[in-house]
Amino acid sequence: MNHQSHTPILEVSGLHVYYGNFHAVNDVSFTVNAGEIFGFLGPNGAGKTSTLSAVEGLLKPRSGNISVAGFDIHKQPLHARANMGVQLQATSFQPELTISEIIGLYAGIYGAAINHEQILSILRDIKLEDAAGKRFGQLSGGQQQRVSLVIATIHDPHLVLLDEPTTGLDPQSRRQLWERMEAIREKGHGVLLTTHSMEEAEAVCDRIAIIDHGRVVAIDTPEALVDHYRHDPEVISVSRKGKITLEDVFIGLTGRAIRS
Amino acid sequence: MRNNIPATSTVLNALLRADFTTQWRNRRSVVLVFLVPLIILMSWKGLVDKLGGAFVLSICITIGLTAIGLMGYTNSIARDRDKGIFQRLRVAPLSTWTIMVSRLTVQIVMILALIIAVFIVGFYVDKISLTPAGYVFGFTMGLVGSAVYLGLGQMIAGLIKNPETVSATTRLVYFAFIMIGMFGELGMLGTEVQAIVRWSPFGSVKRIVSDSLQPAHWTIQSTQALLATIGYAFVFSLLGIKWFRWNTK
Repeated sequence: MNHQSHTPILEVSGLHVYYGNFHAVNDVSFTVNAGEIFGFLGPNGAGKTSTLSAVEGLLKPRSGNISVAGFDIHKQPLHARANMGVQLQATSFQPELTISEIIGLYAGIYGAAINHEQILSILRDIKLEDAAGKRFGQLSGGQQQRVSLVIATIHDPHLVLLDEPTTGLDPQSRRQLWERMEAIREKGHGVLLTTHSMEEAEAVCDRIAIIDHGRVVAIDTPEALVDHYRHDPEVISVSRKGKITLEDVFIGLTGRAIRS
Repeated sequence: MRNNIPATSTVLNALLRADFTTQWRNRRSVVLVFLVPLIILMSWKGLVDKLGGAFVLSICITIGLTAIGLMGYTNSIARDRDKGIFQRLRVAPLSTWTIMVSRLTVQIVMILALIIAVFIVGFYVDKISLTPAGYVFGFTMGLVGSAVYLGLGQMIAGLIKNPETVSATTRLVYFAFIMIGMFGELGMLGTEVQAIVRWSPFGSVKRIVSDSLQPAHWTIQSTQALLATIGYAFVFSLLGIKWFRWNTK
């Protein structure tokens, strides 16, 4: 079911990010619409995390515009952040705090007034009711990701940024996380997802952008990308099973060489 | 519909609750920070008549301030930066100053608790009693002095990214401050070292705390030491804020 409203919830245009003389993000533009899961794919060092960090307001781009729910991330950073939920690649919380205390902390920070009963109810929803008194480090990888996603969405944000959330998860945990992403989409919110998994991109993303060497090389639906590049010689040359997949398109566009 | 920015008071309330809980869960290390000055205070009972009650109290308070500023505050921000805890907080709709205000508030409460503990142990064990003005003035100068060590800690965390190296450095500086400061102040390391120590961050803080405990003994040298303390605090804090990075990458 398509919940897309074509109302952009995130607009990135002409983004340039430099680290010294290194041009990490080069004229990147894209939008994420309400009710859409937008995948951001690229090899290591392609500029995914730099783009995401710029969207989160953690680094200042050389030029370009980023707006979240109509708020410019640099002119109105607090308004923009109030409308986005973030799950960082390596999320860490204070190791001394229990899960319910961490949720309470972030509920307070995002201005979501919730009491202890509501925290327990949230944990019940993600099948972690027994973890309320545990520390974050005592949870498994999948449980940690569920807690991180709950915290990222505790204030019901219009845009959710997920940086490789399923890395290292078992298939069950991954499926569960996909269902949670789809639930966010069904509420009419936008999701920006970075991933290395083509299977994940095909399974949950409505549209994807492939970024390489800091530039967006393709943006479309996964099906349209496969159709469009089906006869591309580079793509055909990397195809392994005779049938063109999204992974073939990805490798055809970004090359076979392993990136550091 | 758009989400609103939470009120600063709500954000600070949530951060303070979390930071105080974190401090409470680390109470063993808090006890260790308190232990060194209190053991010195108790073991110097026999020296109170010779050195003076204010001198003994001020040495113990200064050592405690050094431990809190250098080891408690610095190590906690170095660890949280390395673990990405600050990065997670920074993507939330809060101003970064609220993160530091919350952290510093916890340290200020620790400093007040330390000064109270030194006064209580000094009174009951060493029989050191001060005038009410001495206690109030002593508290105030203790807080002013603590800014030097919090600023120095901020500077170390700004200069060094690796949390283990930060921890090793703060321990080294703490040890150097205690040994050179305490023995130098007493003239046991020679007159030149004594003069240097007197105007060092350790000596200046020790002097203002010591003289504030006896307000009648406040002199122009005390005021000069206060100015030096404010100068150290200003320079260390300025450099600490300038050099500090919220992540280690």
